[in-house]
Amino acid sequence: MHGPESGIGREVFWNIVGPGFPVAQVLLYILVVITILLFFRGLAKGGFFTRLKMMSIATGTDVERLNNPLSRFWYAFAEVFGHRKILREPYQGVFHLFIFFGFLALAITTAIVFIQADFIAPIWHVWFWQDGFYLGLSLFADVFGLLAIIGILMALARRYLFRPNWLDHKSEDAYILWFILAILVTGFVIEGLRMQATELKAGDPMFTYVWYSPVGRIVAVLFAGMSDATLHGIHKVIWWVHVLGALCFIIYVAYSKLLHMFMTPLNIFLRPITDQPPIKVMPPEMFETAETFGVHNVEEYSWKDLFDGEGCMRCGRCVSVCPAFNTDKPLMPRDVVRDIRDYMENKAKIAIDADGTTKIIPDEEYTGPPLIGDTIDKDTIWACTTCMACVDICPAYVLQFPKLIELRRYMVMMESDFPAEVLDVFKGMENNSNPWSIGAHTRADWAKGIDVPLMSEKGEAEYLFYVGCAGAFDDLNKKVATSLVALFNAAGLDYAILGTEEGCCGDSAKKIGNEYLYQTLAMTNIEIFNGYNVKKIITICPHGFNTLKKDYKELGGDYEVYHYTEILDNLIKQGKITLTKPIEGLGTITLHDSCYLGRYNNVYEQPRNIINSLKSGNLVEMEDHHEKSFCCGAGGGRMWMEETLGSRINQKRTREVMDSGAKTVCTACPFCYTMLSDGIKELELDEQLQAFDIAELVFKAANLDEKAAEVIDAQPAVTPLEPEDAPAEEAAPSEPSVSETVEEEGKDAPAEEFAEAPVAGSGAEEAAAESVEEDVPAEEAPAEEEEKKE
Amino acid sequence: MNTVVCMKQVPDTETLIKVNPEGTGIATEGIKWVMGPYDEFAVEEALQQKEKFKAGTVSIVSLGPDRAIEAIRTGLAMGADSAVHINDSAFYDKADPYATAAVLAAAVKNLEYDIVFLGKQAIDDDSGQVPAILAEMLGIPVITQVLKLEVEADKSKATVTREVEGGHAIIDVTLPAVLSAQKGLNEPRYASLPGIMKAKKKPVDVKTAADLGVDVGAMTVIKEMTLPPARQAGKIIEGETPEEKAANLAKALHEEAKLI
Repeated sequence: MHGPESGIGREVFWNIVGPGFPVAQVLLYILVVITILLFFRGLAKGGFFTRLKMMSIATGTDVERLNNPLSRFWYAFAEVFGHRKILREPYQGVFHLFIFFGFLALAITTAIVFIQADFIAPIWHVWFWQDGFYLGLSLFADVFGLLAIIGILMALARRYLFRPNWLDHKSEDAYILWFILAILVTGFVIEGLRMQATELKAGDPMFTYVWYSPVGRIVAVLFAGMSDATLHGIHKVIWWVHVLGALCFIIYVAYSKLLHMFMTPLNIFLRPITDQPPIKVMPPEMFETAETFGVHNVEEYSWKDLFDGEGCMRCGRCVSVCPAFNTDKPLMPRDVVRDIRDYMENKAKIAIDADGTTKIIPDEEYTGPPLIGDTIDKDTIWACTTCMACVDICPAYVLQFPKLIELRRYMVMMESDFPAEVLDVFKGMENNSNPWSIGAHTRADWAKGIDVPLMSEKGEAEYLFYVGCAGAFDDLNKKVATSLVALFNAAGLDYAILGTEEGCCGDSAKKIGNEYLYQTLAMTNIEIFNGYNVKKIITICPHGFNTLKKDYKELGGDYEVYHYTEILDNLIKQGKITLTKPIEGLGTITLHDSCYLGRYNNVYEQPRNIINSLKSGNLVEMEDHHEKSFCCGAGGGRMWMEETLGSRINQKRTREVMDSGAKTVCTACPFCYTMLSDGIKELELDEQLQAFDIAELVFKAANLDEKAAEVIDAQPAVTPLEPEDAPAEEAAPSEPSVSETVEEEGKDAPAEEFAEAPVAGSGAEEAAAESVEEDVPAEEAPAEEEEKKE
Repeated sequence: MNTVVCMKQVPDTETLIKVNPEGTGIATEGIKWVMGPYDEFAVEEALQQKEKFKAGTVSIVSLGPDRAIEAIRTGLAMGADSAVHINDSAFYDKADPYATAAVLAAAVKNLEYDIVFLGKQAIDDDSGQVPAILAEMLGIPVITQVLKLEVEADKSKATVTREVEGGHAIIDVTLPAVLSAQKGLNEPRYASLPGIMKAKKKPVDVKTAADLGVDVGAMTVIKEMTLPPARQAGKIIEGETPEEKAANLAKALHEEAKLI
């Protein structure tokens, strides 16, 4: 029994299995069994089991990957069937959706036919695949099959016509697309041939239902006029081509990136349920006991780090959004993951004995190419800004950049191998708790002469206002600190700063890979915070925000941490700050989302709310905004490194700002503020574009009383720089007296003229401040004038 | 290749310097202390020579109070093998360059050395005398402001490049000798984490001046120490027109600055 009783349906194995012993059917069973065996052989040959063995000896610790299995399952289920992340890239998202659901539909259809023909019919002699059900299923399969073809054609068009530069090309990529296309097309061809030979003949019970197989019906046109014998002959040949093709395809899954159909859902199931991309936790006691830090051998990664190579199918989304790649630097996050996978597979040749036991090869015995410097280039390792765009966009939940941080950790802590300019940053953090190497005793100098409560005097406050290094030392960002002070004072916020007791948050040290230095800085801060019984913290810098909020927890510092935009948004909503004054010349405003505020902490709306409550300017979005925001180039310690390769990230972002048509770009991060201000200067766009931190705009627009508004005038516009003949200059030949940024900021001011030695009570600073008061940075000048008028 | 590096812990270059109430030195409270920046070059060079010869030891000798151990550990973390910490409260406060050299010489004599390295000067008192006095006391040659060092394979001789005004002098010297390091000699390394951890376990021999048999005292005394006067603020020359500004400038140069 191979066909429907009613005549509305079709015979399974039409033209293939004749009367008598079903040779072809039995042959097909045998082939399917062989296919399944070859699939597993393929897994072995393709290196899958080898890689699993290598993962089994991985020594790196990892976060929990199997807790809450049910919610993990449903999360993965929703991701896979909902295509949430995949569809964030519309074109490739849509074609994947078509191929995915096309194949799923065809697989379901085939499974139903299989159950009908090979189980239900022979055992119970029931034929359910007929009438309405048959017609519906036929239509379903035809439509989805067609979608799959459209999807494949779109994929082919992308690969061979549009050719995005972030897409890599391996032979399997071509095989797979043409292979799938061939299977789909032959499927429709045999349908068309069968229909031409049967259903399309007048009098056939199916004659009136042919359009329930629309694609087959159209394909049949090609065969109109052929004799029955020809149709049967061609059908038989192409049927076997189709079936053998489909079986070969199943085998090829085991060898190729197609394995992602199993591995990617599994990888999503295993996703880290953490509040930021986890970087391996190094407990403080580890520094006393461990012999090596970070990763230089692939086995030092965690098993899940290595498993990421299975989840990745080289789609390249991470590459397409990477700020380093997009400015011609040698970093492609996908390749980092894949190179680690290939390296592991190579190393397995010596790590796995003939009897199957797997061992870790000690450094002395390993003679192959090193992971650092060969498999993954050092320039690649240093190019990352930790902007998290790769991790955020990855539909497979692969963690790309944390793998680079592990390599940095090894290079920095084990080998002292880092860009030369970082040495001064480390020393500055060690000796003066700031990356600029400015004397720690001057950390509170920005607050001189203005009304800022000190924690040491106040004793306790609801909020600790953690100013951070940029707010305390960088001229551009001191204005942000003072603006916030004025606003907090006006709003009657119960807050205090730590003054000189404050220390560097350590984010840059951590992301550069100096976990030891980071923890030293963090512990010092935590001790001070706890000493004042700090519960809530406000930060200026999103890096400090993220570090204090999330990273300090690992070291026992648990605080409620807010970014100032969250606080200001609230104060404005509560009516404690009223924005009544118009700000001249803002024009169209756009907001640059800081990576550490947006992608890391999901603070997208508060800055926008604030801008929208200004009485001037109107907000437009750049092409890349919210989670697609393009990094300014300063994260991951890149703030402190020379950008010698490719083009400059900040300039690319500045051009994107220009493209939005905005006249003002707002930032809420000192690094972004610096980078975009520099970008505007470097591209000589001062006439067309201005950068402001949101806090400054709120300060300008807020209806503050005169006393509160005094803070900006009170602060020195330019930090006195090192005098030429001060002992410091002579004495620290290897240490720069001021950082690049500070130097640049001070460029316009006659810095040396007004410089002072780091001497207490000399009064020189105030004098210097007074004398250069006129010399405000150009971008601020119009606004200042505006205020004076009022 | 055995070297001894004489190193001094000094205030960080960015730290706030105050004169002590007696006016005889700086107030030492609240100061961040570091290894002398020129001494870093000395330690680095000693380590590089040891690495080049693939043999020998690098010993650190430092005179200073308890806190000096931090700078000593920094040197050990960079890779030095052992240290002598001359911690003598009766001594270091009053020690002048002569007394310092005497106590260092006594310590160095007990050690094996082909070269004694120092920074060209300590950046706190800037006297720059110790290398020369030390060499005299050890009875060996001294070359100061070294920019480059090449040691013969048999360690009997070295070719040294030193800085002179506007140029370089290349000098042959027999070893052992005292060399003082100038900026440019090398790029001091950043101590690795294993280095820092190992440094905690490296031997540090704590001695007093008496232990070393030194009974000389300072031959000079600091009478008074003052900070440089505060710098005057700059002045912006006012004027409506460039001509008027120029006239006002000339006037100021003549009347106020008395330069013209």
